[in-house]
Amino acid sequence: MRRVTTGIATALLFAGSITAQVRYEDILKGAGQDWLTYSGTYQGSRYSTLKQITRQNASSLVPVWTYHVPEATGLRTSPIVYKGIMYVTNSNAVFALDARTGRLIWRYQDTKAKKRGVNRGAAILGDSVYLTTADNYLVSLDRQTGAVLFSRNFADANKGTMSTSAPLAVKDRILVGSAGGDSGMRGFIAALSPKDGSEIWRTYTVPAKGEPGSETWSDLHEWGGGGTWLSGTFDPDSNTLFWATGNPWPDFSGKPRLGEDLYTCSVIALDFETGKMKWYFQFTPHDVHDWDAQSWPMLLTVPWKEADGRTTKRKVVIHANRNGFYYVLDRETGKFLRGAQLIDNVTWAKGLDDNGKPIVIPGKDPTPEGNWVCPSVKGATNWMSQSYNPGTGLLYLLTLEECGMFTTSSQKPEPMKNFAGGAATEPGGQVILRALDPATGKRVWQYPMTGSARMWTGVVSTASGVVFSGDDDGHMIALDGTNGKHLWHYYTGDDLTASPITYEADGKQYVSIASGTNIFAFALFEPVQQ
Amino acid sequence: MRFLFFVLAPAALLAQHGENSVAPRNPAMKDPNAVAAGAKLYATSCAGCHGPDGTGGRGPNLIHRLESNPLKDDELFNVIRHGIPGADMPATSLSDDDTWRLAAFIRALTGPAIETDVPGDVAAGEQVFWGSKAGCGNCHAILGRGSRMGPDLSDVGGRMPLAQIRESLMPPPKNDPSRDHMLAGKEGVTITLKSGQVIHGIARNRSNYSLQVVDESGKLWLLRMSDVKDLKIMEHSMMPTDYQTRLTSDEMRDLVAYLAHQSLRPRGAFQESAEGSK
Repeated sequence: MRRVTTGIATALLFAGSITAQVRYEDILKGAGQDWLTYSGTYQGSRYSTLKQITRQNASSLVPVWTYHVPEATGLRTSPIVYKGIMYVTNSNAVFALDARTGRLIWRYQDTKAKKRGVNRGAAILGDSVYLTTADNYLVSLDRQTGAVLFSRNFADANKGTMSTSAPLAVKDRILVGSAGGDSGMRGFIAALSPKDGSEIWRTYTVPAKGEPGSETWSDLHEWGGGGTWLSGTFDPDSNTLFWATGNPWPDFSGKPRLGEDLYTCSVIALDFETGKMKWYFQFTPHDVHDWDAQSWPMLLTVPWKEADGRTTKRKVVIHANRNGFYYVLDRETGKFLRGAQLIDNVTWAKGLDDNGKPIVIPGKDPTPEGNWVCPSVKGATNWMSQSYNPGTGLLYLLTLEECGMFTTSSQKPEPMKNFAGGAATEPGGQVILRALDPATGKRVWQYPMTGSARMWTGVVSTASGVVFSGDDDGHMIALDGTNGKHLWHYYTGDDLTASPITYEADGKQYVSIASGTNIFAFALFEPVQQ
Repeated sequence: MRFLFFVLAPAALLAQHGENSVAPRNPAMKDPNAVAAGAKLYATSCAGCHGPDGTGGRGPNLIHRLESNPLKDDELFNVIRHGIPGADMPATSLSDDDTWRLAAFIRALTGPAIETDVPGDVAAGEQVFWGSKAGCGNCHAILGRGSRMGPDLSDVGGRMPLAQIRESLMPPPKNDPSRDHMLAGKEGVTITLKSGQVIHGIARNRSNYSLQVVDESGKLWLLRMSDVKDLKIMEHSMMPTDYQTRLTSDEMRDLVAYLAHQSLRPRGAFQESAEGSK
């Protein structure tokens, strides 16, 4: 035996085994010490009740650890944290890290997955961590050891479907989405059993021929896209899931799919028990600019001025869309209540009509020569996280002021063989973090950034009124949520490509974010205890 | 404990079974008939130096060599064709087709066990694995059954070459310290905390400052070294070294067959391509 004996005893800071199970009720509580679901809360608000890091002390933040994810090139993962363990993902892989030190506890990699692709994160429920592989296997791993409990396929990668989104764990189900809409596939959301991955229900986002909504397609139903490549939100009161859907395929060529192309570029409300669609709202009918609706359908209750002058509270779904507009919808019916322009430059539509439909300016579709349109293909915002803070009453989100050239291709679109029936440029623009009044979409403050519009990071905010995000140059930043004032920054040396979270371990609050290649964790400075 | 080597060395695994090896230029590389024909060529041309199962003899162990120094298919072809100048590896005079067949067999030999034909009775091997005589399940798990202290074996056949599975059941060779199987991530430890609590288990990770340990019941402990009064590290792996005497040769064969059969993906599954950004 070798023996390692430590020096004089110090206070026992943390010496515990990790035994409790993650329950639905724990996730329902929202983000505090732990961060148990992609957005921290089922409402999609990415808000944490932690308040150790304040507007007054945020300037004392320091990096505590960095974990380099092997083979990472553009990490999209949003960490899950439970009782001092952090779970991050890369393509077909999960890494369990000691959340206080960044040390690797276990690693799972599916080396035989047929595809590789980005992965946005894991889910946690019971004693399992759930990953979806790029070729559509739901994998259940023992959260303490990484031991495999099952690995089960839920969609055929040979039909264009891939999986990139973080699964959503609700009650006794794991909700999974589908990606691949840029090269032809048929989008769906599926509810799977957390015990063995068996299917409970599946709802397609593009109707089959003859089904209601199929009349909005002239052809290509089977390959129409409508990917569901971002996790969704859940309303426990009405037992309803809300999911955003992606672009119709082919992306830039509308001729093979004349019509509104339901239910692409929409938000859909699904009954949790059956998967049946309760309502839908389509932001961009017959999209030809690849403006997926993959931004958050956030569930808020906002002060509302009724027609008779009374101010009440209203349950709404708010959504900032890639097409340049901001929407407020009734949560129960999906009815359009209010809209606003999200960014300064929108050239494809004059605005929204009373039903929330865009008032389209003719001649803005992609052409063989190219058409210059604002926003660009990357959109006014995108899948990066937004944060609603009940303390400040503000919605924080990253927006992009960028225009681009949209062209069509003479090549015939063939499913899974060529991209999109055209192309679009991303010449560069300005990323601006904006604080909005969520009930109206009106700007309260903004934080413009330098950079080349390559970032993919989002926002998390806390009960102490601090907003954490990343800038377009690779800095992790902290801002005062009330006025946007800069509090702190740290250069990560890389583009930031995923959204931040915050958690607590051993009584210490951390903020964590993935860059292209690394996971970083920050906390307030403390001298090393000897 | 040897099994953990591959769990913690997926970079080597990927390199070995990455794009180059799974997108062969020559169709023989995935053809079972070519692999079978290659096996005969191997027995007559290669086994004399590299051993009948590729684990070496006068010549190097091919499994270890290709794990640490992966070759692309055409590089493997060229080594067989031209030998290694300056070393004992001679050139061959095989036809192109036969050279590809031989390369296909070597790829199967050094690739995951699930891809090879393994002698033995899988069902009988299952009895051995879970029975008290071998007692594998006291430390290892397969799809949630068994103990989670040791490395998970749910995908052992999908990741580990057959020869390496066999090797894992043998005592580490005395003449090869690099095969001591006491790599970081699988050290058996006994920890006494300053609180007086004692924990036995495997240190998944350990530094001068912190410890991540899975105990005998499969519980994970996240510890700071400042909380540890005493840490004893076992000199040898907790993996038993007496299976050759504990089990009959039939039981060993069947156990290997059962382990080789454990794969999360079916035989023939392999990674295709990199794509997908949304």
